[in-house]
Amino acid sequence: MEDKLSIVAKSFAPSPIQELSHLAQRCNAINLAEGFPDFPAPSHIKHAAISAIHSDFNQYRHVQGICDHLAHIMKQMHGLDVNPLTDIAICCGQSEAFAAAAFAIIDKGDEVILFDPCYETYEGCIKMAGGVSVYVPLDPPHWTLDPNRFINAFNERTKALVLNSPHNPTGKVFTKDELEIIAEECRARNCLAITDEVYEHITFNNAKHISLASLPGMKERTIITSSLSKTFSVTGWRVGWAIAPAFIASAIRNIHAKLTDSAPAPFQEAALIALGSPPEYFESLRSDYESRRDYIVNLLARIGFKIQFKPQGALFLFAELPENCQLSDVDYVKMLIQQAGIVAVPGCGFFHADLSLEKLSQEGCCYRERYIRFAFCKSDQTLASAAKKLGQLSDAAGCLNLR
Amino acid sequence: MQNKFTWPSHEMRLGPSTFLNFSKHFCADFNFIRTGRPSSAPCPSFSAAMSAVPTQNDVVSGQTESTQKTQQPLQVAKRLEKFKTTIFTQMSNLAIKHGAINLGQGFPNFDGPEFVKEAAIQAVIDGKNQYARGYGVPDLNNAIAERFKKDTGLVVDPEKEITVTSGCTEAIAATMLGLINPGDEVILFAPFYDSYEATLSMAGAKVKGITLRPPDFAVTIDELRSTISKNTRAILLNSPHNPTGKMFTREELDVIASLCIENDVLVFSDEVYDKLAFEMDHISPASLPGMYERTVTMNSLGKTFSLTGWKIGWAIAPPHLSWGVRQAHSYLTFATSTPMQWAAATALRAPDSYYVELKRDYQAKKAILVEGLKSVGFEVYPSSGTYFVVVDHTPFGLENDVAFCEYLIKEVGVVAIPTSVFYLNPEDGKNLVRFTFCKDEGTLRAAVDRMKEKLRR
Repeated sequence: MEDKLSIVAKSFAPSPIQELSHLAQRCNAINLAEGFPDFPAPSHIKHAAISAIHSDFNQYRHVQGICDHLAHIMKQMHGLDVNPLTDIAICCGQSEAFAAAAFAIIDKGDEVILFDPCYETYEGCIKMAGGVSVYVPLDPPHWTLDPNRFINAFNERTKALVLNSPHNPTGKVFTKDELEIIAEECRARNCLAITDEVYEHITFNNAKHISLASLPGMKERTIITSSLSKTFSVTGWRVGWAIAPAFIASAIRNIHAKLTDSAPAPFQEAALIALGSPPEYFESLRSDYESRRDYIVNLLARIGFKIQFKPQGALFLFAELPENCQLSDVDYVKMLIQQAGIVAVPGCGFFHADLSLEKLSQEGCCYRERYIRFAFCKSDQTLASAAKKLGQLSDAAGCLNLR
Repeated sequence: MQNKFTWPSHEMRLGPSTFLNFSKHFCADFNFIRTGRPSSAPCPSFSAAMSAVPTQNDVVSGQTESTQKTQQPLQVAKRLEKFKTTIFTQMSNLAIKHGAINLGQGFPNFDGPEFVKEAAIQAVIDGKNQYARGYGVPDLNNAIAERFKKDTGLVVDPEKEITVTSGCTEAIAATMLGLINPGDEVILFAPFYDSYEATLSMAGAKVKGITLRPPDFAVTIDELRSTISKNTRAILLNSPHNPTGKMFTREELDVIASLCIENDVLVFSDEVYDKLAFEMDHISPASLPGMYERTVTMNSLGKTFSLTGWKIGWAIAPPHLSWGVRQAHSYLTFATSTPMQWAAATALRAPDSYYVELKRDYQAKKAILVEGLKSVGFEVYPSSGTYFVVVDHTPFGLENDVAFCEYLIKEVGVVAIPTSVFYLNPEDGKNLVRFTFCKDEGTLRAAVDRMKEKLRR
């Protein structure tokens, strides 16, 4: 009965991130793989959810107040004028917002440009909507954008591009100049953009998150997607949104209504409290994560990892394997699980082969198996345990000895 | 795409004032979808946009890529013709405006049971606020399997054969997208829950409708036999049935089963109202001989536990079908609300007494509504299950279901749902409107009183 699967479903492979997570669970490993916190969500937000459940906010609903808050935040952060009545769709997480956005704008055969390395899920949504993903590699070690390579990726079939900044897995925050290059091409080509800004409030060392939509000529062609998950450490609540020009937002709302119909009601209520958090909350979010970033950068550098690019935002360190290490990223992670009791994600899952672009040289290509993504959205205790375990396996020179 | 480019005619009949909130951007995207040219005139009226709808051939030939590209960047996807603002939202807005009692939208105005709410609260306190396993929190998958065994006798593997989704709505979407290829034939019984047609269109399916007709909405076996063939990929069943309350009988299901086995057809079975089965026992198609291997059984927490806003649903299917559902699900929502899943596991382990009381309460509510509707003068069709009742409104002299519902809101102060939106051909629904009785008894009595007072034949 295998033929009963749709063509699209058959082409999907199981998620490498989730598989390693299962292995890690079996080995009881310290999880530095998946991007969710192991420390509690903020109390004031949990209380809001509990209060909502008690107060019978448990039936289908759309909480308009969320849109009001978001419009205010978009104005404060980016100078964007968003109409809370027409420009916002509340969805079950950024995941659903992105899926609905893809269904809203992508027709069969449309091409969508993505930057590589890349979060694995975008391609699946694009494929389901009938689109074709086209990857533009960013250049290591600093993951810079090559303007010519970018421009050459466009053709008459290009419908949209996807921009994730702050970026998973590298922690890159796209600069104003890079955004100008992207915007210029979108305007010239009459192309749409879907952004994933879930890490919008997590930036370090004064790196500023700039929303692509705030650039000239971009608001009318950009769909912003984001959620509560990373900002408020509630990845399991599934409250997210899409912000777009009114008729696209309307289309997304209508699609969302047929995909899930409503985001979880009590958590929408709690979102009102979350989104109304004072500036101090966001400040301490930033500084707490910055300390964690520093901790893990130092830790891994000490054991020989090459860290030429410190994350400027998001929750991940994309670290290059030690110079003398001959293992591939996957083999390294397997040994890390089995011997050090720590799990991380091999970077190869974030790189995508793309035959339509210039062929990178053999040497140029092999960096794709040299990176490992470590999540640092973990408690101090977890990070300290990880440090201890790695310390036990290091030799006198401080380099990790995996057998 | 094989979709019809027609709009349900009720959308034309509603006056422009109803669409105040929607018309501007709707007009814009109509023009883009149809002609690829932006509106140069001020937003035309809705009916003008309607009359400009070309046939399928026109659209395919008239819209070239270069036409799209040189215009404004307002290029929504072609699939969107099935994705309109729903009739429920429109009616609810009108209801609020007129202070009407809402017996339209199918969610309770009373809350879910304390023990389930407490379980959710405890989960939040215990820190269960991060990503759940994509296909479900293990304990919930187990609870679903246990309940399914109690209900059907079937033993399923919670790890491989159960996928938790954001409500049954997502289970349906994931099933369609995971198991249907563009061009596949899918049979649908009309009237149907409004997400079916939309998600089938997203999957690019060729929809073949079989209309169920009053008074008993029985399956016309001959029509089914002539519609189903070796080209049919799947058939969609919903029992107990929204909006009619019909429950598929053993005889009907046996015929459907044998035709499915003979033609190698999948069954997608939406059973969200299975615990609201009043006049006969609910039968899951998956439990019939030879059917489990080809059936996706879908259900949810919302209706049974009056928590429609929690969005906990699931799909039960053999591993090879579950795999497709899971793939689509992982890209649609990735994971389902974690604390609610923990609470759902508690809910599903409720003792039988919970379900007995649930039925008893709803039966009392149904009696109030049905007696009321009959005494007012509606022809009330028998409803065996769900919390819906469908009635013939024509004794009151209005030309169709939408006009009647508008009249009912504005002049009587009660909301019902016009059923034409649940049909492939809206004409089939013009005599029928749907009332719900998932409201507290006071509300039901008040609505009945208003109708007795103001509704005249």
